[in-house]
Amino acid sequence: MKPQSTFEREPARRVFASELRETRYQFKDGEDEKSPTYVILPTGIRSNRIFIVGTLTEKQRQGDQNIFYRGRVVDPTGTFFIMAGSYQPEAMQQLARIEPPAFVAVVGKPNLYTTPDGNCLVSVRVESISVVDRETRDLWVLDTARETLDRLDAFGTTEDSRKAQEEYGTQPDLYRKIVYDALSQVQL
Amino acid sequence: MTLSEVTERISRKLEAKGAQPDRQKIESRLRRLVEEFGVNIDEAERTVTADLAREYNVTGVGSSSSELRPIREIAPGEWVTIEGKIVALTPPLSPSIAQTGIIADSSGAIRFVTWARGNPPAMEYGHWYRLESAVVDEYRGAPNLKIHSGTTISRMDEDAPLLPSITPIAELKPGVGSVRAKFIQEWEASHDRMLQTGLLGDETGTIKFVIWKEEGKDKLELDTVYNIYYATVDEYNGRLSLALNTAMYIPDEGDIEVGRAETEIRGALVHIAPGSGLIKRCPVEGCNRTLSRQNYCPVHEIQPEFRYDLRLKGVLDDGVRAHNVLMQREVVEALTGITLDEAVGIAETNPLGMDEIFYRIRNTVLGRYYTCSGNEFDGRLLVNSCTPIVFEPAELAALLNRAGGEPA
Repeated sequence: MKPQSTFEREPARRVFASELRETRYQFKDGEDEKSPTYVILPTGIRSNRIFIVGTLTEKQRQGDQNIFYRGRVVDPTGTFFIMAGSYQPEAMQQLARIEPPAFVAVVGKPNLYTTPDGNCLVSVRVESISVVDRETRDLWVLDTARETLDRLDAFGTTEDSRKAQEEYGTQPDLYRKIVYDALSQVQL
Repeated sequence: MTLSEVTERISRKLEAKGAQPDRQKIESRLRRLVEEFGVNIDEAERTVTADLAREYNVTGVGSSSSELRPIREIAPGEWVTIEGKIVALTPPLSPSIAQTGIIADSSGAIRFVTWARGNPPAMEYGHWYRLESAVVDEYRGAPNLKIHSGTTISRMDEDAPLLPSITPIAELKPGVGSVRAKFIQEWEASHDRMLQTGLLGDETGTIKFVIWKEEGKDKLELDTVYNIYYATVDEYNGRLSLALNTAMYIPDEGDIEVGRAETEIRGALVHIAPGSGLIKRCPVEGCNRTLSRQNYCPVHEIQPEFRYDLRLKGVLDDGVRAHNVLMQREVVEALTGITLDEAVGIAETNPLGMDEIFYRIRNTVLGRYYTCSGNEFDGRLLVNSCTPIVFEPAELAALLNRAGGEPA
């Protein structure tokens, strides 16, 4: 839809692990092969890129021919599953070098997978990962809390949030509680 | 608006012309029109004013189009009468236009166009004219005065000194503007017809300017303060610029501390783009382009005598928008704690060479929160200062209240 000359990079949405885990709905904006793929987050916004900061607790190298790395990044609400393969060589090398446990900042694309037994999994394909400190983690919790509350305040007024309501039957109070609990774990 | 207010206004207008109207008579006429005949109050005012003007035999009051108006107050859609001095004449762009230029009074200035149809008398630069029944409309977002066949143009003997009122750069609007500004940056002319282009600044902000090639037009001198009278303010893609061809520019004494109308963005650095870190620049005067690894300049070819520079191109993301940012050497040095000299030393002794600097900078700043302030230009923030965001317990408390404060 948008003309090429006004290309704008997709912003990286801030989302807690427990919200991303509930994400099930994915769509393509446009018919083109290169049209971006979005997920609709339960609090009501489309996203094709996210920014997370948490603790890398585990990483695993997998595959023989096509090496890739998987990892777990934990925030106050749950766990993100991240992966970096040979299509993201920079990200894979960055991840290979980090020894858990470590605070990491991850920029990546959310992806939905369905397992053979029918479960839906959300993983994050890493674009970049870097080691950060505890303060950055705390700032991220505040930032993500604020963005999530902003989305909840606008819930029902935007097209994306009506779609979320339809797909997930989102209960805003539940997510307020998640935000509150996440904030409570930040030490003063 | 009450009848007595309108009465007051009408009698003042007439008194200003030397008549002594009877206020009671004005009010009773108004009342009769409004209350007995159901005329709306604006129309009643116009009618009564016109009637009385005729009775007292005064002109210049009455219907709004013949009432003299200050140029600053006229708005698109109005028929107006103004008196002003021709302060600029520009070559007409089309044969159907007789004259274009700028007419000014002490309150302001407006661009005008005179249509060739109707054979209007030519107005002369520097003289005062009275224009009756001209139409104001909008052309490219700026008010424009149309002088058509129904407009009466009369030359006035008056030659009152005219001192244009200076507008702060931050408050300029499309149309005509006079500024007192310093020429702070000269840019390469991007067009054959361009005499000079660059950046002007005053205490409130900066604006791009252009002088097109034309006989008698001189260039500005860098770092000099100018009084620029009656420049044309254009808008393109939401950004204003000044064309000085209609303007008179006179160097002024003194200096200006140029204010930067800065944009501030808080967010996380989510991407460090290739081309960040230690780079080589073309040494040819005025070129400054980035050289490739083989010291190749796209214009001046191989340049072994390059000079080093540090910069950071990246994306600062606030969760709603991804902003491109560009940091120059000083900002990068302060942010990463690596000076240019140290970076050159590291690059020359490290097996990874210049890449080592890219990795060090990336590992220091990627994924962290910063407040960047600077000037936005072409969709990119040129960062003047970049500071890490620190954790504020008060913000945590406020967010806890916000999350828990609403009824569950």
